Amino acid sequence: MLDYVIGKYNFWIYVVLMMIGLYAMMGKKNLVKKLIGMNIFQSAIILFYISTGVKKGGATVPILMGHAQGHGHQAIDVAGYLNPLPHVLMLTAIVVSIATTGVALAILILIYRRYNTLEEDEILKIRKDTGV
Amino acid sequence: MAEQFPALIIVVPLIAAFFIPLIGWWKKQLCYPWVVAVLVVTFISSLGIINTVMTTGKFSYRLGGWAPPWGIEYALDYLSAFMLVIVSFISLMVAVYSKKSVEKELPEKTVPFYTLFLLLITGLLGIVITGDVFNLFVFLEISSLSCYALIAIGEEGAPIAAFNYVIMGTIGACFYLLGVGYLYVATGSLNMADLAVILPNMYHSKIILVAFAFFTVGIMIKGAIFPLHIWMPDAYSTAPSAVSALIAPLMTKVAAYVMIRIMFTIFQPRFSVETVPVMTILGWLAFIAIFAGGIKALAQTDLKKMLVYILVAEVGYIVMGVSVANRIGLTGAILHILNDAFMMACLFLVVGAISYRIGTRDIHKLHNLNKIMPFTMGAFTITALSMVGIPPACGFFSKWYLILGTIEAGQWAFAAALLCSSLINAVLFFRVIECAYFKPMEPAYANDGGETHMVQRDEAPLTMLVPIVIMAAGIILLGIFSGNIISSIIQFAVPASF
Amino acid sequence: MKVIALIAAIMTGALLIYGIEEMPEWGDPNSPANSHVSPLYIQEAIEKTATPNMVTAVLADYRGYDTLGETTVIFTAGIACVLMLRKKHKGGGD
Repeated sequence: MLDYVIGKYNFWIYVVLMMIGLYAMMGKKNLVKKLIGMNIFQSAIILFYISTGVKKGGATVPILMGHAQGHGHQAIDVAGYLNPLPHVLMLTAIVVSIATTGVALAILILIYRRYNTLEEDEILKIRKDTGV
Repeated sequence: MAEQFPALIIVVPLIAAFFIPLIGWWKKQLCYPWVVAVLVVTFISSLGIINTVMTTGKFSYRLGGWAPPWGIEYALDYLSAFMLVIVSFISLMVAVYSKKSVEKELPEKTVPFYTLFLLLITGLLGIVITGDVFNLFVFLEISSLSCYALIAIGEEGAPIAAFNYVIMGTIGACFYLLGVGYLYVATGSLNMADLAVILPNMYHSKIILVAFAFFTVGIMIKGAIFPLHIWMPDAYSTAPSAVSALIAPLMTKVAAYVMIRIMFTIFQPRFSVETVPVMTILGWLAFIAIFAGGIKALAQTDLKKMLVYILVAEVGYIVMGVSVANRIGLTGAILHILNDAFMMACLFLVVGAISYRIGTRDIHKLHNLNKIMPFTMGAFTITALSMVGIPPACGFFSKWYLILGTIEAGQWAFAAALLCSSLINAVLFFRVIECAYFKPMEPAYANDGGETHMVQRDEAPLTMLVPIVIMAAGIILLGIFSGNIISSIIQFAVPASF
Repeated sequence: MKVIALIAAIMTGALLIYGIEEMPEWGDPNSPANSHVSPLYIQEAIEKTATPNMVTAVLADYRGYDTLGETTVIFTAGIACVLMLRKKHKGGGD
């Protein structure tokens, strides 16, 4: 049991972060707070992926330096370099997260222009009063 | 040329979407012909692909020449080629239709509208054609971002509906990404065919189970499958007419396609049926969806919102067909994807035309429409007959297969639900048809000049009318030829292990 | 509403943690993720793509199509903001 927690504590941390973000998205009334919850959720997923690419035992960043470049066909030690694939996937996911935040902020500007408030219950009240 | 069609079908709309801002800010009138021309090329490519699949069997296209699973590949089998034809045809029809509607509803925004329109279609085509789970996520986000923005510029109440869609849609996409992440941790691969080979040895593993759960919930949110459909009625009914005619048939069906891929191609059917009782849960959720959608539709006075609730019930049919997990049920589900895409597209196009000419969508105010817009109402009536399930319209055949599938699985309650919902659909559509055809004469809309008027022919403009008539004719033709379609395409699209 | 959100968040968290139990240890060099597809990327990146940076090799070469999709996402977000926020007669709101 202890091994379960200690051996994989990175996953535990990221799951807790994800749940904080998910709660903020669903439970908060202010629209900007929901957006920030969305950002926390996506960032936690990105960190989760990157943590799966780590290799213990002295692995370094996945860039070949100096002597390994060039035409030598020396065997490149696989265990000496980190896994590059999660980094690649998460570069795309970071860009997607930023783009979604940008579009959501533009929608918030439209909402603010129309209703002059950013609280969900006030907006519902205005909609009910004006019959929209 | 023919072997490059898979690449062309994505690249042509993509590069064309990059060019529209340049063309549009030079001359605004050129946007519309450019979009229609690009979509014609896309449609021809999709016909080329399905022709290749039907003559030589399924094939795959490697992007950049790298072998999978190290590179990305397109997996073209019967099901994806079939979906490609559906998506490209309906988007072509809606693009032809969109000219007058965009001019009226969004006067200043033609150029960015058409850019996002093409990007949405590119995203949908990319989802259908790809064979790599992470690539699917990227295209899902392209189509979702375009969708959020296109919905937000609609009528009153659209921005708040679009924001709710942003929050729920992002939860869905992130759950999908979590599912991909768990599968990657467990297997190390991102390619669908490769996963299908590696996974059967790992079905007892908890990681795979959790990944499957997250995939299912994420796709249910994106495809508005009951009970995670709550973002859909507001979002689709307040969107502009051309936008809702495009996304209402297509987004839900593409999400259903992704669900079929995950459950039957990546995870073998015996996992989805036996190891996890997900089919039973989905079946009962579909059962409730059919009734809930129908009953809520009865309470609506706005024609468009009524159609959106009917769409919830239609998605319930497809999920029910998938959940009975036998060959006939799945044939019915895939045939219903085709039929429902046509029916919903025709209905939303008709509603847009009515709103363009008359200005209202209240079903109690649509008097005398059969004299004002005879062809449009004729198309509406044909589609209504198809929704109720009367031969030779196509709706009858897909309902027939679905009912046979549920009976073969022994689920009599599901068969009864399918029959009851035909009755509910009949009531829903007859209300509109009665008001349009049979109610006595009454001024139907405020005329511009204020003069009193006899009821006169004021049919929808030609660019709107032609797609509507083509879709209605297509519904009848699909019904007549449904036997051929099943025996030549759908029979092979159903996963082979049934 | 807050209670429902809290319950939903806790249930999702519990499901995620249920799946963590069988995952490989953090940093295991022989986990499936590190030994199925990645070794080829690490070994052949410099020969096949002449790029010392393996992440760039995968991003721009092996999975360059995903990068095209990512560029399209940025473009889509930009045009979406133009679509929603541009006001012609008031001097533009960006």
